[in-house]
Amino acid sequence: MDVAVTVNGTTYERDVEPRKLLIHFLRDDLDLTGSHVGCDTGNCGACSVILDGVLVKSCMLLAVQANGASVETVEGLADGDELTPLQQAFNEHHALQCGYCTPGMLMSATALLRENPSPSGDEIAKALQGNICRCTGYWNIVEAVKLAAK
Amino acid sequence: MLLREVEYAKPGSVAEALELLAANDGARALAGGQTLINVMKARAASPDMVVDLNGLAELKGIELAGDGRLTIGAMTTYTELMGSAEAKARPILGEVCATIADVQVRNRGTIGGNVCSNDPTNHLPPLMVAVGARMTIAGAEGEREVQAEEFFLGVYLTAVGPGELLTRISIPAGKKDGFAAVTLGADGTCIANAAASVNGSVRVALGCVDAVPVLVTAESAGGVADAVRAANLMPPSDVHASSEYRTHLAGVLATRAAQEAAAR
Amino acid sequence: MSQTTLAPEKVEVQKGWGGQSVRRKEDKRLLQGEGVFVDDVKRHGMGYLHFVRSPYAHAHITRVDVSRAEAIDGVYGTLTGEEVAALTEPFFQISSVPGANIKDYALAVGKVRYVGESVVAVVAETRELARDASELVEVDYEPLPAVVDARKAQDADAPVLHDDAGGNLMWSGLYSWGDLDAAFAEADRVVKIPELHFHRFNSTPLECDGALVEYNRGVAQWTIHTNNQFPGFAAIMMGPAMKVGLDKLRFVTQDIGGGFGNKITSHPQLVVCCLLARKLNRPVQWTEWRTDFHLSMSHGNERWFHDTEVAVKDDGTLLGFRTKALDDAGAWLRYEPLGGVIWAQVTPGMYRWKHIELDFTQVATNKAPCSPNRGYSRMQHLWFTERVIDIVAHELGLDPVEVRKRNYVRAEEMPYTTPNGCVYDSGDYAAMLDLALELVGYESMEARRAEAKERGKLLGVGIGSTLDSGTNNFGQSRLINPELQFSGNNEVATVKLDIFGEIVVTLGTTPQGQGHETTAAQVVADILNCSVDDVHVRAGHDSYWNSHAGFSGTYASQFAVTGLSAVKGATEMLAAEIKKLAGAVFGGVPPEALELADGGVRIKESPDAFLPFMACGAIINANNAGLPEDLDVTLNCRYVYRPPFEVPDVETKTGNLTLTYAVQIHVAVVEVDPETGAYEIVDYAAVDDCGKRINPQIVEGQVMGATAQAIGAAVHETYEYDEDGNLLTPNFYDYHVPHALDMPPLATGATESPSPFTPLGTKGMGEGGGAGIHAICAAIQDATGQAVTDSHNPYQRVWRLLQEDRA
Repeated sequence: MDVAVTVNGTTYERDVEPRKLLIHFLRDDLDLTGSHVGCDTGNCGACSVILDGVLVKSCMLLAVQANGASVETVEGLADGDELTPLQQAFNEHHALQCGYCTPGMLMSATALLRENPSPSGDEIAKALQGNICRCTGYWNIVEAVKLAAK
Repeated sequence: MLLREVEYAKPGSVAEALELLAANDGARALAGGQTLINVMKARAASPDMVVDLNGLAELKGIELAGDGRLTIGAMTTYTELMGSAEAKARPILGEVCATIADVQVRNRGTIGGNVCSNDPTNHLPPLMVAVGARMTIAGAEGEREVQAEEFFLGVYLTAVGPGELLTRISIPAGKKDGFAAVTLGADGTCIANAAASVNGSVRVALGCVDAVPVLVTAESAGGVADAVRAANLMPPSDVHASSEYRTHLAGVLATRAAQEAAAR
Repeated sequence: MSQTTLAPEKVEVQKGWGGQSVRRKEDKRLLQGEGVFVDDVKRHGMGYLHFVRSPYAHAHITRVDVSRAEAIDGVYGTLTGEEVAALTEPFFQISSVPGANIKDYALAVGKVRYVGESVVAVVAETRELARDASELVEVDYEPLPAVVDARKAQDADAPVLHDDAGGNLMWSGLYSWGDLDAAFAEADRVVKIPELHFHRFNSTPLECDGALVEYNRGVAQWTIHTNNQFPGFAAIMMGPAMKVGLDKLRFVTQDIGGGFGNKITSHPQLVVCCLLARKLNRPVQWTEWRTDFHLSMSHGNERWFHDTEVAVKDDGTLLGFRTKALDDAGAWLRYEPLGGVIWAQVTPGMYRWKHIELDFTQVATNKAPCSPNRGYSRMQHLWFTERVIDIVAHELGLDPVEVRKRNYVRAEEMPYTTPNGCVYDSGDYAAMLDLALELVGYESMEARRAEAKERGKLLGVGIGSTLDSGTNNFGQSRLINPELQFSGNNEVATVKLDIFGEIVVTLGTTPQGQGHETTAAQVVADILNCSVDDVHVRAGHDSYWNSHAGFSGTYASQFAVTGLSAVKGATEMLAAEIKKLAGAVFGGVPPEALELADGGVRIKESPDAFLPFMACGAIINANNAGLPEDLDVTLNCRYVYRPPFEVPDVETKTGNLTLTYAVQIHVAVVEVDPETGAYEIVDYAAVDDCGKRINPQIVEGQVMGATAQAIGAAVHETYEYDEDGNLLTPNFYDYHVPHALDMPPLATGATESPSPFTPLGTKGMGEGGGAGIHAICAAIQDATGQAVTDSHNPYQRVWRLLQEDRA
């Protein structure tokens, strides 16, 4: 099927099999390998992207379902070398270790901060509930989001 | 990951969706996809075609009637329901939806999908039974209404037949509701759950203990535990809970849900 | 969820970079989605590999037919167990007999021994097609009965996994130190614990295993892009099996998405990729998916402790114990039976008892093979010692805090030699416990207990005190198999000054989030007296960089000792060479008259005589005519750090098995709902001492991560099998790892007791010894008043404990 998907402002036209998940389309077809795969049951959130303004797991929908949509991924956050305040806060608060969950985590936190610019610690944890991190125990991630919210 | 080959159809209307479903034995309606896509990834099910219901305005929307009755489009997402001013007329709906999985799942997963998949650990089937919801099913012959108690037929099986679609759910007015669950981690999969509604007598629907929600009634919250015992539950055992433990939890959670409902 | 941090008082004014929480150099690329993880590596014409896996826990393979799969357009080829058996030797076995006799290949040959075992590999043009084709591979099985409970593995009628071993016993050994008879004669009480069970789980790194393998036919050499975390081990397993020299196996890694020990034993899959890359003459890409990982990779050792007897005095003084440890290795010995000796690094736990006997038996079962998992083998044993302390306290009616303090090895006894000859280097365990108790407000615990009771909740508080032994003496492998020719340890770093003065550091390690690029730069900057920003540490690992040794890798809590000591050694060599060069350039100035500062070298007495690093690099690399003939300087310094170890005594099973002993003391406070058994961790403190901390923030991050993993393991995570050998938790639905909302409030604290044995005073850390598991078990015991005998306590088990209470 022919699809046109806009990712981080660039429109890509591709022919994809209907069975291809959006995450594989992003990673394999578009070579946007920032979004990751950490599970096969939609639990880990490493593939989280923002689809037409809504945070979703890109392994939980087909690429063809994103036809005509606008997708934001981790690659689109920073302005060139200029990291966003959230990315800087992750660095400052040691909110990442291996960095594998980080792209999804950043997308979830970005979506949260757009909706709620000054969330409480509990609201942050609730907003990150769909993103598994196996390295940090989340404490420093929550602190980083708090810092970025200020 | 890595689904079997599948055909994709994106109908422009419910009528077209029904036609597609009726014309293809192997077609499945694709709602939020938060269950179906997973099942397809595991290749546990491999429909020949998915009929994508996303974008069908007819299946969206939440209306509050003068008598307090809510009508909720089947493709309403959990997030939409949580944010809806109308849905606050029955607060338990938004409250329970807010505990389902996580933001991403709630943004995409739908009320209709939750009830139609009827996984015994889902939150909404017992809630729909407890609040006495009516489900509207559309098919080639037109629409029909089914009470929630008759809607759930078995594991992953509902009154929505081949070639049919759940289009909306109608819920009467009420505020005295409760929900209690023991979950696998915060906001996790339910090990056991119970939804209660008090309207004179107490209605409690138990999840995770049978293929379909088990409805028990009592005169008061205090009588719920006895009613659960009288139901002679024989829940399945799995890695998270033995039959015995689930039976015990059902009694405790039913009482808690009923007490919460009665206290409102 | 909230956190508090209590840092130790600085014992000295910190100068330079070491000891500072320098922000990580790795982060920028990872925050922008520009890390390179193994699945990000692509090559023209590559084929995707998919494994056909066994649906049976135990079965003969009677027929394999790949013809239908191979007939599909876009399928590049397949590999079967029969081909593997023809092309390779069985993997080298670490074990002595009977485990030594098993024949382990990269794919199942003739028989499958666990659900999920790889039987056939299929390579195709797309990932989806490879899976489609794998469904067309026909395998006929003749199912056999399975053994899944280690306690039944040695029964006369138990099904035997490996006929070559003559039974399911893989390895056994009796460890006995001190005088057990005397200890029991002296005891006022003998506390008996019939059975304790440490459950099966692992750390489930978010990135699963994977590889992209290219074969260079002209030079018969493979380039293996992979996230294996111990390439040195993979190489010595793979080379002999594939009958090639180790230099034919080039391992390349950049970023790794978590390892925790679970990525040490991917060598069978890597062999399959190599054979297929050669057979099909194209790059082969393999990505392991989550369910594959759960089914088949690196489960942590499940261990039973039977017939434990503890000799104690009435005042709680511990004299000794004897126990029988039964370890479940799963179907293959991929790193085992090393777990049969690794525990001995921490034989007495943190306690002063002198008389210890442990009869260790390891058996095979029809479950996924075990391999190292964060806290490998010590965690199981430390859980045992901590359970023993709390059960003894429970039976004697003593305060667990007092029993610990009475028996802890004392600060003034450091360095302390254990009954089996290990040397605990430093630390004040009792002071750490006090700090941890203070952090959870232990003083007010009884008031909180009463307050919780009013709310219908049972409050409990528990301590987990553990050692994080680091820097292995690989000589301990000889206690498993005296024939083995391994001992000591090593790690490599190369530090060079490049032509334009760039300081380039190459490590032998394969970090997975531990921040090696940052801490290495801190060590280098302090020696060269420059900024960390001036130090470029290469990301990842490439065995063609020639900056690795036999034990290189990232595992077993050792980078702060082995890795950083190598960095220190190489940098000091470079500093000396820079001075030697400058001395010559300045016309014969001796090195002691020179100093490094401001990005160059200068004469102390006349600082205007300054040679920038750039000039040094340029002179040696590109402008060296006229230098003195005997000037032995390359500005490219490779240093191998070798810790001071002796070969352990095989007869008495004594010797120093690890160089350093970091310490973790955790305290957990739980509230149990007595009606459901559900419980919440309402407060948590973790105190760490790992000697000198090069980067306290990174250390604290490791403490936090280990804590979270322990909480997950204690409450939810388990690899549970049914009696037919089906894994009941094959994905993140049923294998529930902690999410953000599951985390309790956390207070962290630290003390700093430098190791006297390491060049930087550092100790390896990061594994945490499962302290959280011990603490949560103890807290549940405190809340319920029932002895906790299992490391895994889901709500259901706690509810049962409470039923016992009522009965």
